Amino acid sequence: MHRLTTLFSAGLLLSLAAHAQSPTSGSDVARQNDLIQQLLRRIDQLESRVTELESSRAPKAPVPTEALVTPPSPPPAPAPSAVATHDHGTPITETVNTTFPNLKLSGFGDINYTASDRPGTHAGFNEGQFILHFSSALSQKVTYFGELSLTARTDAGTGTTPAPGFNPEVERSIIRYDQSDHLKISFGRYHTPVSYWNTEFHHGSWLQTTASRPEMIQFGGSFIPVHFVGALAEGSFNAGGLNLNYNLGLGNGRSSVLSRSGDFGDINNNKAWLATVFIKPDKLYGLQVGGSVYRDKLNATGRPEAQERITSAHVVWHKENPEFIAEFFNINHKLPGTGRVTNNQAWYAQVAYRLPMAMSLKPYYRYEYIHTPRADAIFSGLNLGLSSSTLGMRWDFSSYAAFKLEYRYQERPGLPNTNVAWAQTSFTF
Amino acid sequence: MRTLTVKLIALLLLIAGLASAAPVAIIVSNDVPVDDLSFAEVRKVFLGERQFWNPKLRVVLLMRAPVAPERDVVLRSIYQMSEAQFRQYWISKVFRADVSAGPKIVYSTEMANDLVTAIPGAIAFVDAAQIPKGLKVLKIDGKLPGDKSYPLR
Repeated sequence: MHRLTTLFSAGLLLSLAAHAQSPTSGSDVARQNDLIQQLLRRIDQLESRVTELESSRAPKAPVPTEALVTPPSPPPAPAPSAVATHDHGTPITETVNTTFPNLKLSGFGDINYTASDRPGTHAGFNEGQFILHFSSALSQKVTYFGELSLTARTDAGTGTTPAPGFNPEVERSIIRYDQSDHLKISFGRYHTPVSYWNTEFHHGSWLQTTASRPEMIQFGGSFIPVHFVGALAEGSFNAGGLNLNYNLGLGNGRSSVLSRSGDFGDINNNKAWLATVFIKPDKLYGLQVGGSVYRDKLNATGRPEAQERITSAHVVWHKENPEFIAEFFNINHKLPGTGRVTNNQAWYAQVAYRLPMAMSLKPYYRYEYIHTPRADAIFSGLNLGLSSSTLGMRWDFSSYAAFKLEYRYQERPGLPNTNVAWAQTSFTF
Repeated sequence: MRTLTVKLIALLLLIAGLASAAPVAIIVSNDVPVDDLSFAEVRKVFLGERQFWNPKLRVVLLMRAPVAPERDVVLRSIYQMSEAQFRQYWISKVFRADVSAGPKIVYSTEMANDLVTAIPGAIAFVDAAQIPKGLKVLKIDGKLPGDKSYPLR
């Protein structure tokens, strides 16, 4: 600070001296001399103030923690962006709040408008999902996370007892003990970590670039088990700069309805298990590469008993210039006693680019493909096959809200090809 | 008078340029059992990917509020993110259940210094010219803020 003041003073004097050499009238010279004298007095005052401040900055004794419940010195009125602290930065008073539990609440929402040339559909608005997210530190090492969704029902108001307008669902409910970075153990209901997208964006439409998820990991879909109830061990290791992360899970697997997890209990005595590993190399900041294996025994209603093995892989470039996400899934179904084995494949690749000249805009494109053989006894009749292209533009019109405009072209076996226009406003609060 | 004003503005811009080139120091509380980190390790701490100094001591990350020049240096060199990307990164991280809360905001260098002194496991970044005696300054790749090729400036 002293150096800056001295530099400023010297520069000011030089500027004034240079200015004084220019031809001027006698009265101008007199005014300038007055001005110079005033500025010199002002500089003297500032320098003495700087010296005073520097001398008062002797090393301080540590501030007692209890004194920090209020900030040690009243902070200046922060800029609005600092006040509007979402989870990216909580007010400092919370830093020293050692009382547990300390619940934090945030939310996500989206409003959609879709129009399609698929027969039997109507263009119109759709309320999307209303999501509440809870996180609460119960102690230094124990944390609870919850995610609750409210989704508009198509059968609202119908039935002898009229159906409610919205379906509430506990999407995630996780209690976790963090032993260290190498080992964290949790129990609860998760988004199954066999898919990058499934564990990266959850129900936060605002977080994902596109308006909706790839079809193979749609909520309520049957292709992969989106939810998982059980226990999970996770952690990370440096691994020579590769930053190896892992998840090991044991749980109930799918219920008798393929799209549902065994929330109430398992439908057989065979536990589902999964293992996921991925790396994030130091030398390629932004890159994530990984894969998963998932095993379960299926006893779905109206389907034969089967062994299910899901293998998946993903490659992600996290940055936005460009952003790249690609995932591949193979779902192997083996029917015991018959020797019948089928493989179902799905993959998608998505690329986006944050425009450098208009940072609020991000055009994107995604191609996705699902193939299920007719011989597959588990997915037969579900008509999961798909080839789809999505082209869109995301506009971040605020720090916490985005508008997305999409065009989709979809081909499904045995159905007419469809064109879909989709507009979405998504936000976090 | 106009010439004088123009020269003053030029001088202020020059001073601002010099100030922005000043190194940013990473300070930690004295109980942090680390003196030197690689740049990649510093990045992991600031990204919330390393959350423990050791099994008994959690990392407590303090961030300067937006507009502080030191924050700009950290966003540019460590995070390689814009302000908006930084916000989304932490919202996403909490939503993924990776952490229960994002970094804590501090509003001044003095506040950062005081809190790093007081909070076990705390880490913050400040203007290297404004570190009071007694605070532990982390080396990055073996270099302190005054050294040549120090990465945070």
